[in-house]
Amino acid sequence: MTETLPTLNKLERRKQDMELTYDDGTTYTVAYDDLRHACPCAKCSPMRNDDDASRTLRRQIEALPAEKPHIRTVGKYALGFEWQQGCSSGIYRFERIHDLALRRDPDRGRPYVHGAW
Amino acid sequence: MADSPVTITTPGSDDAASAGPSPQEQKQMEQAYAQMKRKMSMEEIGRNIKHKIMVLSGKGGVGKSTVSTGLALSLAQQGYAVGILDIDITGPNVPKMMGLDGRRLHVENKRIHPAQGHLGVKVISMAFLLEDEDTPVVWRGPIKLGAIQQFIGDVEWGELDYLVIDFPPGTSDEPLTVAQSLPDIDGMVIVTTPQQVALLDSRKSITFSESLKVPVIGVVENMSGFTVSGTASPGSEFSVAAPGGKTITTSADGEGNFSFTLDIFKEGGGKSTAEEFGVPFLGALPFDPGFVRGGDDGVHRIVSEPDGPSAVAFSKVVAAILDQLSDGSDGGLEII
Repeated sequence: MTETLPTLNKLERRKQDMELTYDDGTTYTVAYDDLRHACPCAKCSPMRNDDDASRTLRRQIEALPAEKPHIRTVGKYALGFEWQQGCSSGIYRFERIHDLALRRDPDRGRPYVHGAW
Repeated sequence: MADSPVTITTPGSDDAASAGPSPQEQKQMEQAYAQMKRKMSMEEIGRNIKHKIMVLSGKGGVGKSTVSTGLALSLAQQGYAVGILDIDITGPNVPKMMGLDGRRLHVENKRIHPAQGHLGVKVISMAFLLEDEDTPVVWRGPIKLGAIQQFIGDVEWGELDYLVIDFPPGTSDEPLTVAQSLPDIDGMVIVTTPQQVALLDSRKSITFSESLKVPVIGVVENMSGFTVSGTASPGSEFSVAAPGGKTITTSADGEGNFSFTLDIFKEGGGKSTAEEFGVPFLGALPFDPGFVRGGDDGVHRIVSEPDGPSAVAFSKVVAAILDQLSDGSDGGLEII
């Protein structure tokens, strides 16, 4: 099933979370901790394959000091979030961000396969 | 090193200056100084080149160098100042495709000057340093790394609009070194062919890009389909046995001309991989035997047939890349 992705018009960085406004009029909030736990980089992703490791990742993220990220666009399809502490490697596609907004699993239940290293 | 301004003195020793550094210390200082100079040079080069595009594939034999040279030539055809850096140290073949076989690099004041190929495209390749083309380069990691940094930092590129960087297949040291050495890389173009094994490896490249923090500009499907054209009796219909047990039925037009495309491997694999990963699909390039001949003869297909189907396909891929790199690529997203 192909889902039409609404266009993200506005992203407001707040203290603990970000507010997303889409062109279809919908508005969502994504907590930074959820965003960071869903980091798609090759270092963070494998940790979500296993429940214990995933919880460890979550605890590591929650222990980090609260901060607003610096955000950069990546081409026309993704955003990069840069943090002073913790992982800043992930390139978040707009689909992924929308999944997080809808409280859906951005990995769609698929385990990460460590292909690159 | 004659031009090294570095001297060393040992604290607490009155005759330290006259004693001078030991040969080992002097060597270390010279290496550190050369490294610093190279780093500064790489940063300057990074500023003088507006856009840097890495061309990768997970698997060998998908036509990556053909795509790299094609992109460079297509960009040059549109009037851009373009360079191509052939990082494939063990199997460099860009010079042959660019009509620069047997050329040597010009070195002046310790700076390497690139050779100029078709349409003024500047080329740097390991092939220029080989004694003969049958000599293999057997280098371990650190030597390879040094050569790559030299190819980036010691080359006099001048001002370029685009630098296309062609890598060996796979996700090894080379892209990592370049991504760490050259600032502000725009992104990677992943080249694939439609068959499953190539697509699997392309997925690795996409994942790799996320690890390197270099965005994927998009996926190009090479060897996508072979177009057969000819003449027959006007209006006649005929069937052709195509790969995969398919039958293609086609007919000649009123003047007797016909053409149909055979998907020799499969069709749409690159597009579905791009969709699966949510990265842009830049386009499909036809299977064109002319590339093989052109590669061997040193006259690229885009040069010999600038308005041919392959050149047109490349220009569409280039347009898709430029679209991705265009300013305001955030689509008007307001970030507060």
